[in-house]
Amino acid sequence: MTTTSEPPQTTTALIPKARSGVIDVTRPLVPAHDHQPSRVRRRELTGGEGLLAGGLTALVLAVLTVNITGFPMASDDEGTYLAQAWAVATGKGLAHYTYWYDHPPLAWIQLAALSWIPGLFQVDGPAVMAARVAMIPVVAACLLLVYLVCRRLGMAVWAAAAGLLIFGLSPLTITMYREIYLDTFAVTWMLGALALVLSPRRNLWHYTAAGAATALAVLSKETMLVTLPAVCVALWQNAARSSTRPWAVGGYLSGLVLVGMFYPLYALLRGELFPGPGHVSLIGAWQFQLANRSGTGSIFEAGAGSHELVKSWLFYDPVILLAGLAATVPALVVRRLRPAAVAAVILVLVAIRPGGYLPAMYVVQILPFFAIVIAGMLDVTGRAVPAHRRWWRPALATVAVLLAATLIGPRWWAGNQRALTAADNAGYTAAADYLRTSVPDRAGATVVVDDVLWLDCVNAGYPEEQVIWFYKLDLDPAVAARMPNGWRDVDYLVSTPALRQDPGSLPLVNTLLTNSTVEAAFGPADGRIEIRRINKEIRS
Amino acid sequence: MILTSVVLATFAAVTLWWTMHAWRTPETLAATRFAEPDGDHRLTFSLLLPARHEQSVLEHTIQRLLRSTHQGYEIIVIVGHDDPETAAVAHRAAENAPGRVLVVTDHNEVKNKPRALNTALPYVRGDVVGVFDAEDQVHPHLLEHVDHAFRSTGADVVQGGVQLINFHTSWFSLHNCLEYFFWFRSRLHLHARKGFIPLGGNTVFVRTDVLRTANGWDGTCLAEDCDLGVRLSSRGAKVVVAYEASLVTREETPDTLGSLLKQRTRWNQGFLQVLRKGEWRRLPSFGQRLLARYTLVGPFLQAFSGVAIPIGIAAAIFADLPIGIALATFVPVVPMAANIVFQTVGLRDFGQQYHLRIKPLHYAWLILGAFPYALVLSVAALRAVWREYTGRRNWELTAHVGAHLNNANAGAEAGVA
Repeated sequence: MTTTSEPPQTTTALIPKARSGVIDVTRPLVPAHDHQPSRVRRRELTGGEGLLAGGLTALVLAVLTVNITGFPMASDDEGTYLAQAWAVATGKGLAHYTYWYDHPPLAWIQLAALSWIPGLFQVDGPAVMAARVAMIPVVAACLLLVYLVCRRLGMAVWAAAAGLLIFGLSPLTITMYREIYLDTFAVTWMLGALALVLSPRRNLWHYTAAGAATALAVLSKETMLVTLPAVCVALWQNAARSSTRPWAVGGYLSGLVLVGMFYPLYALLRGELFPGPGHVSLIGAWQFQLANRSGTGSIFEAGAGSHELVKSWLFYDPVILLAGLAATVPALVVRRLRPAAVAAVILVLVAIRPGGYLPAMYVVQILPFFAIVIAGMLDVTGRAVPAHRRWWRPALATVAVLLAATLIGPRWWAGNQRALTAADNAGYTAAADYLRTSVPDRAGATVVVDDVLWLDCVNAGYPEEQVIWFYKLDLDPAVAARMPNGWRDVDYLVSTPALRQDPGSLPLVNTLLTNSTVEAAFGPADGRIEIRRINKEIRS
Repeated sequence: MILTSVVLATFAAVTLWWTMHAWRTPETLAATRFAEPDGDHRLTFSLLLPARHEQSVLEHTIQRLLRSTHQGYEIIVIVGHDDPETAAVAHRAAENAPGRVLVVTDHNEVKNKPRALNTALPYVRGDVVGVFDAEDQVHPHLLEHVDHAFRSTGADVVQGGVQLINFHTSWFSLHNCLEYFFWFRSRLHLHARKGFIPLGGNTVFVRTDVLRTANGWDGTCLAEDCDLGVRLSSRGAKVVVAYEASLVTREETPDTLGSLLKQRTRWNQGFLQVLRKGEWRRLPSFGQRLLARYTLVGPFLQAFSGVAIPIGIAAAIFADLPIGIALATFVPVVPMAANIVFQTVGLRDFGQQYHLRIKPLHYAWLILGAFPYALVLSVAALRAVWREYTGRRNWELTAHVGAHLNNANAGAEAGVA
């Protein structure tokens, strides 16, 4: 310490009004760091409530899991996504054919990350059906998130539990969520974003994580983007009257944009962002999907693709669809239910837009939001019952349960009974067995199959480049280049309903169908699966 | 390369996490403010005001301090024996306010701020020592609030907010202002909570007995404020930080890029010295020691990442890297870009709190200037390391007044620690 030794010559006058020279450190008047939120809130998924939500989830998962390989019949899309996940898991890239930005790849990257699960349970059967087991944890997360979102939208425990059950036990859910769809991943992330954005602590990092979850949802399935306004409404409502709202918005945007940018960045770094000759591109794929994709007609027009699709959804479960539709409109008026209602409204409007393309799995995205608004309207009704009339509430609850048991119960029972027992995939299983055991010279054979059986053929020892998705024959120049003799390079054709669906548009496939004889056939007449040997000698 | 990316991303994310501390939840934000005072004046303050070649601003500062609403305080102005102009201003002020202002002359051969403060310490008679700089604009109600904060929290140290205000002067002053905003508004509160804090250079109040027990300031350290904070918190002193936009001490940014560079070099070198002194090793918990190490090395990590991340991106775009690695180099950009987003929100908030009009031009400065500013900080960090290891530990003072004082640093440059 270097100070001057010079004695003080002048001083200030005695400091006035020095009433106390000692600081009282013994008794602080105010607790030092009072960072506790004024309104202490219980966490939703812990303790007894956690057991309830977990128990209901386990119940739904039990219904979902039993006979998961037998029903519903494997769809072509499932095979596509699984094969792409296989390409990711084995390090072959984002797809086993050229990845052309048809969908963002995140969902099947996640599926690849989950692909160890079926092996754990020794599931038998063709690859697609076995891989459905990997979807169970995703559905579990989705169910719990439905419950959590219900609670964070201010519903009572019973209403949130009802929401979980309505969503989980609807035969439509049991059917659609068994299958391997990108939408399941996407909607789960979106529900996660909604739950985070409704964080009761209004933590900045929850908002940021919500942004990231939204981006992950969109990168799992791009159509999930239409529900973004719902999350924004929730964000705006939850951050209202708080000093940190601008920061919350900033955090959400950062998470959304900075995670979302990795997809276009991937395309940019590969030189595939902009369309150009000789390569696929992200923007080119968007142009194709927005402009050139033929619509499936209007859902109100008998005979149109969309109409048939909605009819099939209604066949599985009219209850959740009609009740959801009916609950959405009043839910828009209830402030706390508005986020879920906005999501439901947007998804419905997108579905009924005239001339649009309506994919078969579209309903996967709607179901949780419908269940949430139904539960929300139940909650609103429950609260409207005057509290001073003691016997009203139990009476109404009994009536409601009885009504549900008599009106909805039998329908859902029948629907889920089919899901628990039907063996719709027996044909595929037998065909896969036949291809694995009865075809001689598998290492040298070239087979044309649909997407469902593709991975089974590869696993059975056919060389990967000689197992060909049927529509790649006509559409992918890289595949055509591998076959100098055209259709005569093919040895076997596996004819399935998916392959026969659209005969006019694929001439090479048609040629193969006409120049082949059935060697073996499985399954019922309408879902017949034939192994056909190509007759190379006959001229076409 | 992936490892570098992960390290950089982690560093950037942790820094972002801490920088945003105050805004985590509405409750944390509310806790960063001064509590409303009870109107009682129980403590006495000795306000130290070292001034060196600052005759043009000193008088105004003293006048403003004299407007304090608090009853019990004295102002001790410390002037150098070789600086008659400033001394004249100080003595005149003392004559005009007898009993309030005391002038102490510093006879040290080598002049710097910690030595000036130590010179004044024996004269201190108040319960609490406060430090201000000669160019500070202090709010008249500040002392009342500090008085109440000491009494209500049982603190040993109270750090008030300091804010650079002239964001519109140039692009770097805007970034400088925002740095202060985030530091005093948010980050320091986290440090106070964790029990390790590098104090600010002014608007800092320490109980006199605690300060004397700690032997005052370190006359050889280039960041005496940081050093004092580290020594006090290592000895378990309780530090409270409070920020209130209306009460902050207002300052100005360095007027040229060169002086900003010098100032930053000095701070960084000071941080290095504090790190090497190792007082922080006495901190009781491992987490605190880690925080200390991290904070003191922080400027250098920041400098490194400010340069390394853009280089990584350039490599990803122009060199033909495998796609996975190329994407990985972009991971550190995520927290970095999020930081810019939050700074944009911060700039808006800053404008609202200080009733300043933020124009689109300023947002453009913020975004476009982010990388150049990171470069300036990097240069300062490198310069600090170079000066420290070549043994040049003298005090490069930042001039706060007009051009006529540009050669005033020459006298201060002569010394060696």
